[in-house]
Amino acid sequence: MGTDTDSRLSQFRKGVVELAILALLHGGEAYGGEIVESLSSHPGLAISAGTVYPLLSRLKKAGLIDSVWRESPVGPPRKYYRLSEEGGAEFDVMARAWDGVTGAMDELLGKGNAR
Amino acid sequence: MSTPERDAGPQSATGGLSPEAAALVETYFTRVHGALLLAAAGECEDAVDDLRTHILEQLADTSGTPADVTRALADLGAPEALAAEYADASSDDEPSQRLSDVDTVPLHGRLLKVPFELRVPSSDRIAQRWWNPLDPRIFVPRVFGIGWDINFGAVAVKLHLVRPDDEDEPFASVPPRIISATMLFPVVLGIVFVGLVAATWAGLPAMLPAHWNVGGEADSFWARGWAIGFLAVMSLAPVAAAASTHLRRRAPLNRVAASAAATFLGTIAFSQLIQTLLYAGGTKTMVPTFVGIAAAFLVPFAMLVSLSRVGRAEEQRRDLEATSKKGSV
Repeated sequence: MGTDTDSRLSQFRKGVVELAILALLHGGEAYGGEIVESLSSHPGLAISAGTVYPLLSRLKKAGLIDSVWRESPVGPPRKYYRLSEEGGAEFDVMARAWDGVTGAMDELLGKGNAR
Repeated sequence: MSTPERDAGPQSATGGLSPEAAALVETYFTRVHGALLLAAAGECEDAVDDLRTHILEQLADTSGTPADVTRALADLGAPEALAAEYADASSDDEPSQRLSDVDTVPLHGRLLKVPFELRVPSSDRIAQRWWNPLDPRIFVPRVFGIGWDINFGAVAVKLHLVRPDDEDEPFASVPPRIISATMLFPVVLGIVFVGLVAATWAGLPAMLPAHWNVGGEADSFWARGWAIGFLAVMSLAPVAAAASTHLRRRAPLNRVAASAAATFLGTIAFSQLIQTLLYAGGTKTMVPTFVGIAAAFLVPFAMLVSLSRVGRAEEQRRDLEATSKKGSV
Protein backbone atom coordinates (compact mmCIF):
# COMPACT_ATOMS: atom_id res chain seq x y z
CA MET A 1 0.00 0.00 0.00
CA GLY A 2 1.46 3.36 -1.00
CA THR A 3 1.58 6.34 1.32
CA ASP A 4 -1.04 8.03 -0.85
CA THR A 5 -3.43 5.17 -0.22
CA ASP A 6 -2.64 5.32 3.49
CA SER A 7 -3.34 9.02 3.77
CA ARG A 8 -6.55 8.66 1.72
CA LEU A 9 -7.76 5.89 4.02
CA SER A 10 -6.86 7.80 7.17
CA GLN A 11 -8.68 10.83 5.74
CA PHE A 12 -12.03 9.15 5.53
CA ARG A 13 -11.55 7.12 8.69
CA LYS A 14 -11.09 10.33 10.69
CA GLY A 15 -14.65 11.40 9.94
CA VAL A 16 -16.02 7.95 10.65
CA VAL A 17 -14.23 7.64 13.99
CA GLU A 18 -15.89 10.81 15.23
CA LEU A 19 -19.28 9.23 14.58
CA ALA A 20 -18.05 5.98 16.12
CA ILE A 21 -17.19 7.79 19.35
CA LEU A 22 -20.58 9.50 19.45
CA ALA A 23 -22.27 6.16 18.80
CA LEU A 24 -20.33 4.49 21.59
CA LEU A 25 -21.18 7.25 24.08
CA HIS A 26 -24.78 7.14 22.89
CA GLY A 27 -24.83 3.73 24.56
CA GLY A 28 -23.68 5.20 27.88
CA GLU A 29 -20.70 6.99 29.42
CA ALA A 30 -17.20 5.58 29.18
CA TYR A 31 -13.65 6.56 30.14
CA GLY A 32 -10.79 7.16 27.70
CA GLY A 33 -9.12 3.77 27.97
CA GLU A 34 -12.47 2.05 27.64
CA ILE A 35 -13.29 4.02 24.48
CA VAL A 36 -9.91 3.23 22.93
CA GLU A 37 -10.30 -0.44 23.81
CA SER A 38 -13.81 -0.94 22.49
CA LEU A 39 -13.13 0.98 19.28
CA SER A 40 -9.84 -0.79 18.63
CA SER A 41 -11.68 -4.09 18.88
CA HIS A 42 -13.01 -3.17 15.42
CA PRO A 43 -9.91 -3.62 13.27
CA GLY A 44 -11.68 -2.09 10.27
CA LEU A 45 -11.60 1.31 11.95
CA ALA A 46 -7.83 1.10 12.53
CA ILE A 47 -8.10 3.20 15.67
CA SER A 48 -5.39 3.87 18.23
CA ALA A 49 -5.10 6.02 21.34
CA GLY A 50 -3.40 8.56 19.12
CA THR A 51 -6.59 9.05 17.12
CA VAL A 52 -9.14 8.77 19.91
CA TYR A 53 -7.78 11.28 22.42
CA PRO A 54 -7.41 14.21 20.03
CA LEU A 55 -10.96 13.54 18.80
CA LEU A 56 -12.31 13.40 22.36
CA SER A 57 -10.66 16.75 23.03
CA ARG A 58 -12.11 18.20 19.82
CA LEU A 59 -15.62 16.88 20.52
CA LYS A 60 -15.45 18.28 24.03
CA LYS A 61 -14.36 21.71 22.78
CA ALA A 62 -17.26 21.59 20.30
CA GLY A 63 -19.62 20.96 23.22
CA LEU A 64 -20.80 17.59 21.89
CA ILE A 65 -19.47 15.63 24.85
CA ASP A 66 -18.89 16.38 28.55
CA SER A 67 -16.37 14.83 30.88
CA VAL A 68 -16.31 14.28 34.61
CA TRP A 69 -13.89 12.61 37.01
CA ARG A 70 -15.33 9.67 38.95
CA GLU A 71 -13.88 7.38 41.58
CA SER A 72 -12.88 4.04 40.14
CA PRO A 73 -13.58 0.79 41.97
CA VAL A 74 -9.98 -0.18 41.14
CA GLY A 75 -7.10 2.27 41.12
CA PRO A 76 -7.11 6.05 40.67
CA PRO A 77 -10.14 8.12 39.56
CA ARG A 78 -11.08 8.07 35.89
CA LYS A 79 -12.33 10.74 33.53
CA TYR A 80 -15.65 9.67 32.07
CA TYR A 81 -17.15 11.02 28.87
CA ARG A 82 -20.81 11.28 27.98
CA LEU A 83 -22.88 12.87 25.22
CA SER A 84 -24.13 16.38 25.91
CA GLU A 85 -27.65 17.30 24.87
CA GLU A 86 -26.21 18.92 21.78
CA GLY A 87 -24.10 15.83 21.13
CA GLY A 88 -27.17 13.62 21.29
CA ALA A 89 -28.90 15.74 18.66
CA GLU A 90 -25.73 15.78 16.54
CA PHE A 91 -25.50 12.01 16.81
CA ASP A 92 -29.09 11.59 15.53
CA VAL A 93 -28.36 13.81 12.54
CA MET A 94 -25.05 12.12 11.76
CA ALA A 95 -26.45 8.61 12.17
CA ARG A 96 -29.21 9.42 9.71
CA ALA A 97 -26.73 10.95 7.28
CA TRP A 98 -24.59 7.82 7.68
CA ASP A 99 -27.50 5.65 6.55
CA GLY A 100 -27.74 7.79 3.44
CA VAL A 101 -24.01 7.52 2.81
CA THR A 102 -23.81 3.74 3.28
CA GLY A 103 -26.93 3.23 1.15
CA ALA A 104 -25.42 5.27 -1.66
CA MET A 105 -21.99 3.67 -1.31
CA ASP A 106 -23.37 0.13 -1.29
CA GLU A 107 -25.14 0.92 -4.51
CA LEU A 108 -22.06 2.49 -6.09
CA LEU A 109 -19.81 -0.37 -4.98
CA GLY A 110 -22.31 -2.84 -6.38
CA LYS A 111 -23.12 -4.45 -3.04
CA GLY A 112 -26.53 -5.84 -2.17
CA ASN A 113 -27.14 -5.80 -5.87
CA ALA A 114 -27.63 -8.95 -7.97
CA ARG A 115 -25.34 -7.76 -10.75
CA MET B 1 -16.07 11.65 -19.58
CA SER B 2 -14.60 11.90 -23.05
CA THR B 3 -12.39 14.84 -23.86
CA PRO B 4 -13.89 15.88 -27.21
CA GLU B 5 -17.30 16.30 -25.65
CA ARG B 6 -15.84 18.34 -22.82
CA ASP B 7 -14.05 20.64 -25.22
CA ALA B 8 -17.05 21.08 -27.45
CA GLY B 9 -19.43 21.72 -24.59
CA PRO B 10 -18.40 25.16 -23.41
CA GLN B 11 -17.86 26.59 -26.86
CA SER B 12 -21.35 25.79 -28.06
CA ALA B 13 -22.80 26.93 -24.73
CA THR B 14 -21.06 30.29 -24.48
CA GLY B 15 -22.85 31.37 -27.62
CA GLY B 16 -26.21 31.18 -25.82
CA LEU B 17 -25.27 33.65 -23.07
CA SER B 18 -26.22 37.29 -23.12
CA PRO B 19 -23.21 39.63 -22.71
CA GLU B 20 -24.48 40.50 -19.25
CA ALA B 21 -24.71 36.82 -18.26
CA ALA B 22 -21.28 36.09 -19.74
CA ALA B 23 -19.85 38.96 -17.70
CA LEU B 24 -21.33 37.45 -14.53
CA VAL B 25 -19.63 34.15 -15.30
CA GLU B 26 -16.33 35.93 -15.98
CA THR B 27 -16.45 37.92 -12.73
CA TYR B 28 -17.24 34.79 -10.77
CA PHE B 29 -14.36 32.80 -12.17
CA THR B 30 -11.91 35.67 -11.75
CA ARG B 31 -12.82 35.61 -8.07
CA VAL B 32 -12.51 31.82 -7.92
CA HIS B 33 -9.08 32.01 -9.55
CA GLY B 34 -7.97 34.68 -7.08
CA ALA B 35 -9.29 32.72 -4.12
CA LEU B 36 -7.55 29.56 -5.33
CA LEU B 37 -4.24 31.38 -5.68
CA LEU B 38 -4.61 32.77 -2.17
CA ALA B 39 -5.44 29.37 -0.74
CA ALA B 40 -2.52 27.86 -2.68
CA ALA B 41 -4.84 25.11 -3.76
CA GLY B 42 -2.48 23.81 -6.42
CA GLU B 43 -3.78 23.29 -9.93
CA CYS B 44 -5.69 26.59 -10.15
CA GLU B 45 -6.04 26.70 -13.92
CA ASP B 46 -7.32 23.14 -14.18
CA ALA B 47 -9.81 23.66 -11.39
CA VAL B 48 -11.18 26.85 -12.94
CA ASP B 49 -11.43 25.16 -16.36
CA ASP B 50 -13.33 22.22 -14.91
CA LEU B 51 -15.73 24.42 -12.99
CA ARG B 52 -16.30 26.72 -15.94
CA THR B 53 -17.08 23.75 -18.18
CA HIS B 54 -19.52 22.47 -15.60
CA ILE B 55 -21.34 25.81 -15.34
CA LEU B 56 -21.53 26.34 -19.08
CA GLU B 57 -22.93 22.85 -19.54
CA GLN B 58 -25.55 23.60 -16.93
CA LEU B 59 -26.43 26.85 -18.67
CA ALA B 60 -26.72 25.17 -22.03
CA ASP B 61 -30.10 23.79 -20.99
CA THR B 62 -31.41 27.22 -19.93
CA SER B 63 -32.05 30.41 -21.86
CA GLY B 64 -28.81 31.84 -20.45
CA THR B 65 -30.23 34.93 -18.72
CA PRO B 66 -28.34 36.61 -15.88
CA ALA B 67 -30.88 35.05 -13.47
CA ASP B 68 -30.01 31.57 -14.78
CA VAL B 69 -26.34 32.34 -14.33
CA THR B 70 -26.84 33.56 -10.78
CA ARG B 71 -28.76 30.41 -9.93
CA ALA B 72 -26.15 28.09 -11.44
CA LEU B 73 -23.30 29.92 -9.70
CA ALA B 74 -25.12 29.88 -6.36
CA ASP B 75 -25.09 26.10 -6.70
CA LEU B 76 -21.30 26.12 -6.70
CA GLY B 77 -21.18 28.45 -3.70
CA ALA B 78 -18.95 31.38 -2.75
CA PRO B 79 -15.54 31.46 -4.50
CA GLU B 80 -13.73 31.51 -1.15
CA ALA B 81 -15.59 28.42 0.08
CA LEU B 82 -14.81 26.61 -3.16
CA ALA B 83 -11.15 27.52 -2.90
CA ALA B 84 -11.08 26.24 0.67
CA GLU B 85 -12.49 22.91 -0.51
CA TYR B 86 -9.77 22.64 -3.15
CA ALA B 87 -7.09 23.61 -0.67
CA ASP B 88 -8.36 20.97 1.78
CA ALA B 89 -8.30 18.34 -0.91
CA SER B 90 -4.76 19.15 -2.04
CA SER B 91 -3.06 19.80 1.30
CA ASP B 92 -1.31 17.19 3.39
CA ASP B 93 -1.85 16.91 7.13
CA GLU B 94 0.56 19.78 7.76
CA PRO B 95 -0.92 22.97 6.33
CA SER B 96 2.63 24.20 5.96
CA GLN B 97 2.73 26.14 2.75
CA ARG B 98 -0.54 27.95 2.37
CA LEU B 99 -1.52 31.58 2.09
CA SER B 100 0.94 34.25 1.06
CA ASP B 101 3.84 31.72 1.01
CA VAL B 102 3.21 31.21 -2.70
CA ASP B 103 5.68 33.76 -3.99
CA THR B 104 8.14 33.91 -1.12
CA VAL B 105 10.72 31.42 0.08
CA PRO B 106 8.90 29.28 2.65
CA LEU B 107 10.06 29.90 6.22
CA HIS B 108 8.93 26.51 7.39
CA GLY B 109 8.23 23.12 5.88
CA ARG B 110 10.24 20.05 5.04
CA LEU B 111 13.48 19.62 3.17
CA LEU B 112 14.34 16.01 2.24
CA LYS B 113 11.85 14.90 4.93
CA VAL B 114 13.62 16.94 7.63
CA PRO B 115 11.41 19.71 9.05
CA PHE B 116 12.73 23.23 9.28
CA GLU B 117 11.30 26.30 10.95
CA LEU B 118 12.71 29.77 10.51
CA ARG B 119 9.82 31.86 11.80
CA VAL B 120 10.49 33.70 15.07
CA PRO B 121 9.58 31.35 17.94
CA SER B 122 6.26 32.13 19.58
CA SER B 123 4.96 30.92 22.92
CA ASP B 124 2.08 29.31 21.02
CA ARG B 125 4.40 27.21 18.92
CA ILE B 126 6.62 26.25 21.85
CA ALA B 127 3.51 25.25 23.81
CA GLN B 128 2.02 23.08 21.08
CA ARG B 129 5.28 21.30 20.32
CA TRP B 130 6.67 20.77 23.84
CA TRP B 131 3.57 19.69 25.72
CA ASN B 132 0.94 17.89 23.70
CA PRO B 133 0.00 14.66 25.52
CA LEU B 134 -2.74 14.06 22.93
CA ASP B 135 -0.14 13.58 20.22
CA PRO B 136 1.67 10.23 20.56
CA ARG B 137 4.63 11.43 18.46
CA ILE B 138 7.67 12.02 20.67
CA PHE B 139 9.68 13.84 18.01
CA VAL B 140 7.93 16.87 16.60
CA PRO B 141 9.16 19.52 14.14
CA ARG B 142 11.53 21.89 15.90
CA VAL B 143 10.25 25.18 17.33
CA PHE B 144 13.17 26.96 15.66
CA GLY B 145 15.88 25.60 13.41
CA ILE B 146 16.26 22.31 11.59
CA GLY B 147 15.20 18.92 12.90
CA TRP B 148 13.00 17.85 15.78
CA ASP B 149 12.09 18.79 19.32
CA ILE B 150 10.80 16.50 22.02
CA ASN B 151 7.09 16.46 22.80
CA PHE B 152 7.46 16.02 26.57
CA GLY B 153 3.73 15.30 26.76
CA ALA B 154 4.11 12.17 24.63
CA VAL B 155 7.09 11.03 26.74
CA ALA B 156 5.07 11.49 29.93
CA VAL B 157 2.22 9.43 28.47
CA LYS B 158 4.64 6.68 27.35
CA LEU B 159 6.11 6.54 30.85
CA HIS B 160 2.58 6.37 32.33
CA LEU B 161 3.20 9.56 34.29
CA VAL B 162 0.06 11.17 32.85
CA ARG B 163 -2.81 10.03 30.66
CA PRO B 164 -3.49 11.88 27.40
CA ASP B 165 -6.83 13.23 28.63
CA ASP B 166 -5.87 13.95 32.24
CA GLU B 167 -6.41 17.65 31.70
CA ASP B 168 -9.15 19.13 29.54
CA GLU B 169 -6.91 22.06 28.71
CA PRO B 170 -3.24 21.76 29.68
CA PHE B 171 -2.53 23.53 32.99
CA ALA B 172 -5.85 25.40 32.83
CA SER B 173 -6.89 24.22 36.31
CA VAL B 174 -3.49 24.83 37.91
CA PRO B 175 -3.67 27.69 40.47
CA PRO B 176 -2.20 30.91 38.97
CA ARG B 177 0.47 31.27 41.66
CA ILE B 178 1.90 27.85 40.74
CA ILE B 179 1.91 28.86 37.08
CA SER B 180 3.88 31.98 38.01
CA ALA B 181 6.19 29.93 40.22
CA THR B 182 7.51 28.09 37.14
CA MET B 183 9.56 31.23 36.49
CA LEU B 184 11.40 30.77 39.77
CA PHE B 185 13.95 28.28 38.43
CA PRO B 186 14.98 30.19 35.28
CA VAL B 187 15.06 33.52 37.15
CA VAL B 188 17.21 32.18 39.99
CA LEU B 189 19.49 30.48 37.47
CA GLY B 190 19.82 33.79 35.61
CA ILE B 191 20.69 35.62 38.83
CA VAL B 192 23.32 33.03 39.76
CA PHE B 193 24.72 33.32 36.23
CA VAL B 194 25.12 37.08 36.54
CA GLY B 195 26.55 36.80 40.04
CA LEU B 196 29.08 34.21 38.95
CA VAL B 197 30.22 36.33 36.02
CA ALA B 198 30.51 39.41 38.23
CA ALA B 199 32.58 37.50 40.77
CA THR B 200 35.00 35.94 38.27
CA TRP B 201 35.21 38.53 35.50
CA ALA B 202 38.36 40.32 36.73
CA GLY B 203 40.38 37.12 36.88
CA LEU B 204 39.37 35.76 33.45
CA PRO B 205 41.92 35.52 30.62
CA ALA B 206 41.40 37.74 27.56
CA MET B 207 40.51 34.77 25.34
CA LEU B 208 38.04 32.11 26.37
CA PRO B 209 37.09 28.82 24.74
CA ALA B 210 33.87 28.97 22.73
CA HIS B 211 33.76 25.35 21.61
CA TRP B 212 35.13 22.02 22.77
CA ASN B 213 35.70 18.74 20.99
CA VAL B 214 34.34 15.55 22.52
CA GLY B 215 37.61 14.92 24.33
CA GLY B 216 37.25 18.15 26.28
CA GLU B 217 39.91 20.08 24.31
CA ALA B 218 38.92 23.62 23.42
CA ASP B 219 39.11 23.99 19.63
CA SER B 220 37.92 27.55 19.19
CA PHE B 221 38.53 30.73 21.23
CA TRP B 222 36.69 34.04 21.47
CA ALA B 223 37.49 37.30 23.25
CA ARG B 224 36.05 36.95 26.76
CA GLY B 225 33.50 39.71 26.20
CA TRP B 226 32.03 37.81 23.25
CA ALA B 227 32.28 34.38 24.84
CA ILE B 228 30.56 35.42 28.08
CA GLY B 229 28.22 37.84 26.27
CA PHE B 230 26.98 35.04 24.01
CA LEU B 231 26.18 32.84 27.01
CA ALA B 232 24.57 35.76 28.84
CA VAL B 233 22.21 36.40 25.94
CA MET B 234 21.41 32.69 25.69
CA SER B 235 20.67 32.63 29.41
CA LEU B 236 18.86 35.91 29.94
CA ALA B 237 16.98 36.64 26.68
CA PRO B 238 14.68 33.59 27.07
CA VAL B 239 14.00 34.61 30.69
CA ALA B 240 12.95 38.06 29.48
CA ALA B 241 10.77 36.56 26.73
CA ALA B 242 9.16 34.15 29.18
CA ALA B 243 8.58 36.92 31.72
CA SER B 244 6.80 38.90 29.03
CA THR B 245 4.61 35.86 28.22
CA HIS B 246 3.66 35.69 31.90
CA LEU B 247 3.08 39.43 32.27
CA ARG B 248 0.88 39.53 29.17
CA ARG B 249 -1.35 36.94 30.89
CA ARG B 250 -1.18 34.46 28.04
CA ALA B 251 -2.87 31.05 28.32
CA PRO B 252 -1.47 28.85 31.15
CA LEU B 253 0.00 26.40 28.62
CA ASN B 254 1.87 29.21 26.86
CA ARG B 255 3.19 30.57 30.16
CA VAL B 256 4.41 27.21 31.43
CA ALA B 257 5.96 26.32 28.06
CA ALA B 258 7.77 29.68 28.01
CA SER B 259 9.14 28.96 31.50
CA ALA B 260 10.20 25.49 30.35
CA ALA B 261 11.97 26.91 27.29
CA ALA B 262 13.75 29.54 29.43
CA THR B 263 14.76 26.75 31.81
CA PHE B 264 16.09 24.64 28.94
CA LEU B 265 18.24 27.38 27.40
CA GLY B 266 19.23 28.82 30.78
CA THR B 267 20.49 25.42 31.95
CA ILE B 268 22.53 24.92 28.78
CA ALA B 269 24.01 28.41 29.05
CA PHE B 270 24.79 27.92 32.74
CA SER B 271 26.55 24.62 32.14
CA GLN B 272 28.64 26.24 29.41
CA LEU B 273 29.57 29.06 31.77
CA ILE B 274 30.72 26.54 34.38
CA GLN B 275 32.66 24.66 31.72
CA THR B 276 34.31 27.89 30.55
CA LEU B 277 35.22 29.00 34.08
CA LEU B 278 36.66 25.57 34.92
CA TYR B 279 38.73 25.62 31.72
CA ALA B 280 40.01 29.09 32.56
CA GLY B 281 40.95 27.72 35.98
CA GLY B 282 42.93 24.90 34.35
CA THR B 283 40.43 22.00 34.66
CA LYS B 284 39.78 20.13 31.44
CA THR B 285 36.49 18.31 31.66
CA MET B 286 33.30 17.83 29.66
CA VAL B 287 31.26 16.90 32.72
CA PRO B 288 29.47 20.27 33.00
CA THR B 289 28.33 19.98 29.38
CA PHE B 290 26.98 16.46 29.78
CA VAL B 291 25.31 17.23 33.10
CA GLY B 292 23.95 20.44 31.58
CA ILE B 293 22.40 18.69 28.59
CA ALA B 294 20.80 16.05 30.80
CA ALA B 295 19.47 18.68 33.22
CA ALA B 296 18.25 20.86 30.35
CA PHE B 297 15.86 18.06 29.38
CA LEU B 298 15.05 16.67 32.82
CA VAL B 299 14.21 19.88 34.67
CA PRO B 300 11.63 21.18 32.12
CA PHE B 301 10.22 17.65 31.84
CA ALA B 302 9.80 17.42 35.62
CA MET B 303 8.27 20.90 35.63
CA LEU B 304 5.73 20.06 32.92
CA VAL B 305 4.77 16.69 34.40
CA SER B 306 4.32 18.04 37.94
CA LEU B 307 2.17 20.90 36.71
CA SER B 308 0.03 18.56 34.66
CA ARG B 309 -0.47 16.42 37.75
CA VAL B 310 -1.41 19.45 39.81
CA GLY B 311 -3.94 20.35 37.10
CA ARG B 312 -5.34 16.84 37.14
CA ALA B 313 -5.62 16.86 40.93
CA GLU B 314 -7.51 20.18 40.78
CA GLU B 315 -9.92 18.82 38.17
CA GLN B 316 -10.50 15.71 40.24
CA ARG B 317 -11.06 17.70 43.43
CA ARG B 318 -13.67 19.84 41.63
CA ASP B 319 -15.55 16.87 40.15
CA LEU B 320 -15.29 14.42 43.01
CA GLU B 321 -16.38 17.00 45.59
CA ALA B 322 -19.30 17.94 43.36
CA THR B 323 -20.43 14.32 43.02
CA SER B 324 -20.13 13.60 46.73
CA LYS B 325 -22.31 16.66 47.44
CA LYS B 326 -24.80 15.74 44.75
CA GLY B 327 -27.16 14.02 47.17
CA SER B 328 -27.83 17.23 49.07
CA VAL B 329 -28.18 19.52 46.02
